[in-house]
Amino acid sequence: MDGTQVLPTTQTVSTQALPGLRARRGLWRALRGELQGSEYTWALAFLVPYIAVFLVFVIYPVVYGFWMGSEPSLYANLFSDPIYLKTVVNTLLYLAIGVNVKMFLALLLSGFFMRPGWWTKALLMIFVLPWAVPAMPIFISIHWMLNGDYGFLNNALWTFFHVNGPSWLDTRWFALGSDIVSYIWKWMPFWTVIFIAGRMAIPQEIYDAAKVDGATGIRAFVHINFPLLANLYFVCTLLSTIFTVGDFTTVYFISGGGPAMSTHVLATLGVLQYAFDMAQPRLGVAAVMTALPLVIPLVILLMRKLKTAQVQL
Amino acid sequence: MGVVSRRSVLRGSLGLVAAGTLARPHIANAAAKTATVWWTQGFVPEEDAAFRKVVADYQKASGNRIDYSIIPFAPLRQKLISALTSGVVPDVSDIPAIQINAQEAWSGKFLDVSDVVETQKSKYLPTALLGCQFYNGVAKKRSFYGVPYKGAVIPFHYWGDLVEKAGYKLSDVPKTWDAFLDFFRPMQTKLRAQGMRHVYSYGWEISTVGDDPTNTFHAWLIAYGGQGLVTKDGKLHANDPQVREAAIKALTRLATDFKEGYVPPGAVNWNDADDNNAFHAKQVVIDFDGTISTEVALYHNKKEYDAIVTHGLPLSNDGKALPSQFFTGTATIPSGAKNVAVAKEFLAYLIQPKVNNEFLKGGLGRWLPAMPELTKTDPWWLDPSDPHRVAYVRQGLYSPTIPYFYAYNPAYAQVMTEHTWNVAWSDIVTGGMTPQQATDKALKRLEAIFAQYPIQQA
Amino acid sequence: MTTTTADIGLTAAPDRQRMRRAARRWRLLQKVGVALLSLVLIVWTLVPIYNMVMVSLEGHDDVFSSRVAPADPSLHGYWLVFTQGYWYLQYFWHQYANSIYLGVAVTFFTLLIGSLTSFAISRMRIRYGWVVTNAALLTYVIPASFLSIPFYRLMQEYGMMNNIWSVIAALVTFATPYAIFIFQNYGAAIPIELDESARIDGASPLQIYLRIYLPLMAPALVAVGTYALLLAWNDYLYQFLLLESKRSMTVPVALAQFLNSDEAPWNYMMATAVIYALPPIATYYMFRSKMTAGLTMGGVKG
Repeated sequence: MDGTQVLPTTQTVSTQALPGLRARRGLWRALRGELQGSEYTWALAFLVPYIAVFLVFVIYPVVYGFWMGSEPSLYANLFSDPIYLKTVVNTLLYLAIGVNVKMFLALLLSGFFMRPGWWTKALLMIFVLPWAVPAMPIFISIHWMLNGDYGFLNNALWTFFHVNGPSWLDTRWFALGSDIVSYIWKWMPFWTVIFIAGRMAIPQEIYDAAKVDGATGIRAFVHINFPLLANLYFVCTLLSTIFTVGDFTTVYFISGGGPAMSTHVLATLGVLQYAFDMAQPRLGVAAVMTALPLVIPLVILLMRKLKTAQVQL
Repeated sequence: MGVVSRRSVLRGSLGLVAAGTLARPHIANAAAKTATVWWTQGFVPEEDAAFRKVVADYQKASGNRIDYSIIPFAPLRQKLISALTSGVVPDVSDIPAIQINAQEAWSGKFLDVSDVVETQKSKYLPTALLGCQFYNGVAKKRSFYGVPYKGAVIPFHYWGDLVEKAGYKLSDVPKTWDAFLDFFRPMQTKLRAQGMRHVYSYGWEISTVGDDPTNTFHAWLIAYGGQGLVTKDGKLHANDPQVREAAIKALTRLATDFKEGYVPPGAVNWNDADDNNAFHAKQVVIDFDGTISTEVALYHNKKEYDAIVTHGLPLSNDGKALPSQFFTGTATIPSGAKNVAVAKEFLAYLIQPKVNNEFLKGGLGRWLPAMPELTKTDPWWLDPSDPHRVAYVRQGLYSPTIPYFYAYNPAYAQVMTEHTWNVAWSDIVTGGMTPQQATDKALKRLEAIFAQYPIQQA
Repeated sequence: MTTTTADIGLTAAPDRQRMRRAARRWRLLQKVGVALLSLVLIVWTLVPIYNMVMVSLEGHDDVFSSRVAPADPSLHGYWLVFTQGYWYLQYFWHQYANSIYLGVAVTFFTLLIGSLTSFAISRMRIRYGWVVTNAALLTYVIPASFLSIPFYRLMQEYGMMNNIWSVIAALVTFATPYAIFIFQNYGAAIPIELDESARIDGASPLQIYLRIYLPLMAPALVAVGTYALLLAWNDYLYQFLLLESKRSMTVPVALAQFLNSDEAPWNYMMATAVIYALPPIATYYMFRSKMTAGLTMGGVKG
């Protein structure tokens, strides 16, 4: 029970030779695998809905998107725009710090929330609120909260600590920091729950056995939890990175890409500034395309991880 | 039947309309046609109600149907851009963002509507007409690509009660540019001494979001003599020393106001609504904002409404009248529209003086007429009991005006969306550049942009 | 008699006391640590939510004040929302219904399509099923907001603008791959022998799906359903791009209108937001316990 079973696939039939070398009957059987007759039809019927959705709403837009971004002059425009280069830096920072801090904290907190007792359960209930609260209104609330002059945060700092809080959104680094912290605030609970589920999947027997051997606390973490959770952690980080590259709502509502377009990320720059504000949708798609060299390797990595290892998702 | 009779219907109805009477378009075609119209949502419900009335009246008069959508300006901008890119277009679209008309006309995305404009051409303010003629880079000609139905200028707005609270008299407001601006400067200190902890003198829009920041910079530019940046022939005069001087002065002035703490620090992030919000909250004493929407928003609060003073542009520092940038509000017919005849008919209907007047009045006068005679025939516009409207009308229709630079050259539409000058401001305030360096960088960028829009003059 | 306690392996009394004290201190430290952490978590979690509720209770001008609590809290904002008394809120209940409809539809179709697909791939083990699984992952290559531009054009072309089904389609597309993975993982713990014995008994795949698969997958269905619902309620971009008429828009789009306004009725906006936030919160709390079970493989042993 080490959490790395082989995913049930049709590996068993993959040893058959390539269809082109076989008789037609062999070909048919090769394609069908183990399924016979009407069952095969059923299986196909079950797959059709998703395949249809995929073709119409993924393949077509993706292909169209690639076509939109296929003009080389767009990329020349892009790389000569100083805002674009700033944006790439922002995006990388956002990913590197945002995703990793969030994941790490989620992992730690998942351990905390495994403690027995009613208090932990009650706390968890509150802790998950950021995920359940809809993104757009709460980000607007955070945006106001961070207003330098009349936002709640600075009001509270003044009232309780007599400290004049800085203008959270009016300089590049504070604004970017605010974006990242808001992002962590919103999504950390979700991943914490995932990690809690992952920890709960570790059978109690292992802990018991370890305790007999004298491993508790930190030692237990390092020798038991960590290896079993490592896979899950890695996959979640990949997934989260991919999701975050496309995250538009956070930056749009918290800092709006400002001040002076210095906190844009690729998602807001491409979709908002180029595609719609500047009426150049193709430039927007091009901006987005430049993220592919980062995203595609991640997806491939994810595919392999999920195929070969049974991951507790 | 078919095409021939539709065309004769159009000609016939336009002819009647040109006679200046409230025409009831002659309907030869028994089958009523439908046209899709996209319109910008107003800032107050009365604007939308006025539009719906025009549609209802038109439908009754013509027997055609208008399938309209009233959409807030930001989504409408997105929607329109997308539509123009994909070719799936409505028959009529209002222009929700001021640069779109020039930008898309350059790409040939709008139909030439000279025939519609012709029906009322003589009545328009000359500047208004200049503001809706754009250069079509595909057809290589300059023509009318939008039907003007409203206008706007940018006044100053300030709280009379705050001015007096700070110990100044409204009658003392100076008449020349720098003196006028300096008048408000010390009020911040005086008001804070009286307990208004978060008040600032100036509510200048200086972010890189929206149109207010570009409007602000360009008004300052013109005030210091930089009007010749782009001339009517579409040429950019980046090397004109007078223009360069004016730009430096404008940027310096705006940067200094901010650096010395007379503008709320949050202004770097303001969108077009935020300066109005700050003004309404009395966080600032004076702001500079297009139309009188600032006042109209408080229309139902008589006390506040009356406390605001609407002030046109002061004189230049050497005592000369300054021209205001006049925005011509247009509605367009995208290329590829399916019901061009109905579209043209509807727009022709909209710009008939009586209809146009009722429509603009219904919107509480937030938008100016583009035809001066409306203010003469209807006393409502210059009714002295509403000083806001009077000041606004005088600034727009009875004072010198010039169109926006994008009417001369569509490259300037891109300059505006890139917020080149506001980025320059930011370079000075946070980037440590001197005004000279920032100006030169901006002018260089302008040259690069203009190079992408080669205009062949006729 | 002189065997010391050390000889027989027991600790001396003073040593034991010291150890007990140390253990007590450690426990105390732990308790303090937990209390501190709890405080931090509570403040961290609740501050933005408090702000949202606070603004909704404030009067119009209070928003710009420096107070930390409303001076004169009133439910006026909520009343206005309930009675649709503000022009941006004219169709609030209709739009709220749209939002609920969107959430339910996205949940339903994600569950349906996801479970059918994972059933076909991992239970029925269709050949080349892994192609579909991997292809599903490709959905995430171009992240959601990027795809919005071509998607927008697509919907215009299909005449699906202002149609809630276009948003449903988009969101189902993004939720389904994740659903497929959860189902595959969870389903791996359900022995395939169950399916096979049912097949021998003459059950059709549909019957196996309905009678065996779905009931056993219940916790995973709940987990994925909650995920899909929250995805729909957290989405903004697609709803904003694809829905603009007052009757077709959902609450987030209606809220965005407030941002256009010159008037800044922030308190109404936040009151609307609070009301909008209630269903997902309620849903999460109702299904909370099932959620963790569904994400685990068959639950905790021992």
